[in-house]
Amino acid sequence: MFAENQKISPRQVRRLFLLDVFGLSSLLLPGIFSSLSGADGIFSLLFGMAASGVMLLLMHGNIKRMEGGYYAYMRECVGTLAGNLFQIFYLVYFLSLSGFVLYQTTVLVLSWLLPEGSYLGVSLLLVLLAGYGAMRGIEGRARVYEIIFWFLGIPLLAMLGLALREVDADRWAPLAASSLARIGEGGLAFSIFLLPLSGILFLKPFCSKPEKLTSCAAAAWLGAAGLNLAVYLILLGVFGTKALGALERPALTLMGMINFPGGFFNRQDVVMVSVWFFALFALLNTGVFQSGLIWKELCRSQKDRHSLPLILAFVFFLGAELFENPFLLEAYDVYQKWAALPGMAGILALLLSCGRIKAWRRARKEGRA
Amino acid sequence: MPTPITSDLQENIRNFEAMFSDCEDIKKRNIKVGKELGRECYIAYIEVAASMVDWSDSGIGKLLGTLRELPENELVPYIRGNGKDYSDADPFSTLEEAAQGMLTGDILFFLEGYDKAMKIPDKGYPGMGVYQTGSEKVIRGSNEGFTESIKLNTALLRKRLRSPNLKVKESFAGRRTHTNVDLVYLKDLIQPGILEEMEKRLQEFEIDGTLDSGVIEQLTEKRKYSPFPQFQTTQRPDRAAMAILEGRIVLLSDNSPVALIFPATYNAFIQTSDDYYNRWEIASFTRILRYAASFLAMVLPGLYLAATNFHTQILPTDLLLSLAAARQGVPFPAVVEILLMELAFELLREAGVRLPGPNGNTIGIVGGLIIGQAAVDANIVSPIVVILVALTALCSFAVPSEEFATAFRLLKFLFIFLCGYLGYFGFLTGILLVLIHLSHLESFGIPYLTPFVGADINGFQDERDAFLRLPLSFLKKRPVYAREGARVRFRKKKRGKGD
Repeated sequence: MFAENQKISPRQVRRLFLLDVFGLSSLLLPGIFSSLSGADGIFSLLFGMAASGVMLLLMHGNIKRMEGGYYAYMRECVGTLAGNLFQIFYLVYFLSLSGFVLYQTTVLVLSWLLPEGSYLGVSLLLVLLAGYGAMRGIEGRARVYEIIFWFLGIPLLAMLGLALREVDADRWAPLAASSLARIGEGGLAFSIFLLPLSGILFLKPFCSKPEKLTSCAAAAWLGAAGLNLAVYLILLGVFGTKALGALERPALTLMGMINFPGGFFNRQDVVMVSVWFFALFALLNTGVFQSGLIWKELCRSQKDRHSLPLILAFVFFLGAELFENPFLLEAYDVYQKWAALPGMAGILALLLSCGRIKAWRRARKEGRA
Repeated sequence: MPTPITSDLQENIRNFEAMFSDCEDIKKRNIKVGKELGRECYIAYIEVAASMVDWSDSGIGKLLGTLRELPENELVPYIRGNGKDYSDADPFSTLEEAAQGMLTGDILFFLEGYDKAMKIPDKGYPGMGVYQTGSEKVIRGSNEGFTESIKLNTALLRKRLRSPNLKVKESFAGRRTHTNVDLVYLKDLIQPGILEEMEKRLQEFEIDGTLDSGVIEQLTEKRKYSPFPQFQTTQRPDRAAMAILEGRIVLLSDNSPVALIFPATYNAFIQTSDDYYNRWEIASFTRILRYAASFLAMVLPGLYLAATNFHTQILPTDLLLSLAAARQGVPFPAVVEILLMELAFELLREAGVRLPGPNGNTIGIVGGLIIGQAAVDANIVSPIVVILVALTALCSFAVPSEEFATAFRLLKFLFIFLCGYLGYFGFLTGILLVLIHLSHLESFGIPYLTPFVGADINGFQDERDAFLRLPLSFLKKRPVYAREGARVRFRKKKRGKGD
């Protein structure tokens, strides 16, 4: 029966990845863009789109060549040792991502929903929920986000629509006033937020139509970029560059300012936090699930019962440390910029080159024979 | 290609029995007729539709009596010449016509050497007045309900689905009660494997007695710790017939007026029979109301607690002040107040169900109006909480399936605790918990949240009968329960040139 065949549909992949990349980026990027390049954040966004577009092309090239899973493909292309190292690289990426997202989600909850709550208590509850979600497998995870997609999307679009009344288009100026370096830096930040899309590399055995994986990721990439552009333009038009740069989570501040026509509800920020809460939780869940998957592949055991508790414990610990230790946050930023992003691009390019060389050699050999 | 009826009785019997294999509700008998009882005849009928005990006064009884007095060489000429003496008795030349004749509730008669089959009228299907369903009331549609006799119940289904493909597989459950359990389905529609899975589950347990279908339901459920039922229940034959037409299977248990339908999904629990008897606009509107009701029945008290205890900023100031004024003098915290009222309401509901009819109604009025008013006057609870609890109860009543509504009634308490202690974060956590649970739940291989998940499996057709019930002519395909390749249920006939 199809209820437990461990396959998810392209629609589920699309929605899952859109939520994965939209949540964190729309929460943090407007502040980053604004402080780096002001109104030129639009160019940063376009630059980031182009950079992650190249990554998507690399992923597409590799997915096309893949016959089974990504791990097997890596070992086939670059040998077992390098394959294992690359796999560990991905494990570190998804584990650290989970820890960071846990930290962000907990801070979001404490700032907007439960100011008197305990960091560790909220964080523990979230980790346990993520564990419960990961235990339910890829299908359960995909279904949750397939269901809530429009429940989150419609209110968000409605609120953004209502916010248009507050937009002052003069605040979108001056354009082209920032240096290329700053625009580039913003673009790289956007590419980093889109890195979770690399999860599609591991999804080939789980997608009912694997040939559509790249188009699903492309749809999520376009959707996230479009939404981020809309959010950024609205935020810039409402707050202006300076105020936007000073706000911690401007999208949520905006939600608190919009009034429904008729004025029954005073503030919607509490309700609208659910959009980012679910989106961040989707990413946390993805990180935990993906880490578990990679771990199991590394250990070559599909029935490994200890991996999930260990991963959850690590994620919880990392989240707590990120909260306690601001230095770790900076280190994470450096890791993303100097290791995760170039590492992933490098691995994809290397795999593609090796794959092509091997295919060319094979073809030559066959031609000789 | 129709199968002709020949004068070879054995060949006719072979063909007929092949057509009605696995139909335990259809009785077939070989009887000797003629003065020396040397000629064989064969009769077939739907068990409950024909007089079972005494045939002497029935048409078939009189015919058999006459045939036993005639010499064998006069039997066929007699039938040929006098068959029509029995009112509404029709001879059929093909097996398919004969089968349809029998499925209208009459007796089918074959005779050795006679190349036709005769339909002999009998009392027919049980009609209205058999039993009226107490629950699942509809504004439009049949009021007939299942009875406590499994034979009558299969006949009520056969009455609605007159197809030789309707199969009734009989088995027994309960070591001491030896209760009849029938699985009723359309052979050409069900997904392969589901029937076998249910038969396997029925074989997996041994129990003293199965006095109701509820026992079978609990023993064959896969996820025993889920508050959500994995079988749909109905007391309405038309609902069960509708489910069979969708490719699902109905389980009937003797001595129980409640049929189990499987596979079951969230959407199926929200649908009612008259969704399809009424126009699509009103059907869609009430369906959306029911969806909203199922959600609110679970979260409304919790959301009230989150808004008034944690996030007062979302409410308009006037409303907030009036809520605060209404709570003045109430000695309990809001969580305790809500819990008290909810428990009191559950108590009233339980008392109302146990008491005989008129007393039950009285309890509702006494509880709802008098005790509620007294509690408000005594400052035990605030009026807004009474309104809220009543509204929550209304929402749970609007969910068509009692078993399904029970899940929300129970989960409501989880939300009260979560929202009472964690506010809106508790609400979000609860929603995630329920969603993750539901997304993993399945009933016989069909995801519980179909068609909101995996709608692509059936080409997004099932979504046309989910939140909205689109016009019937749009519902061209059966839901995903049905076998692939047998999902077309509606098509427009091509008009001839002359039309």
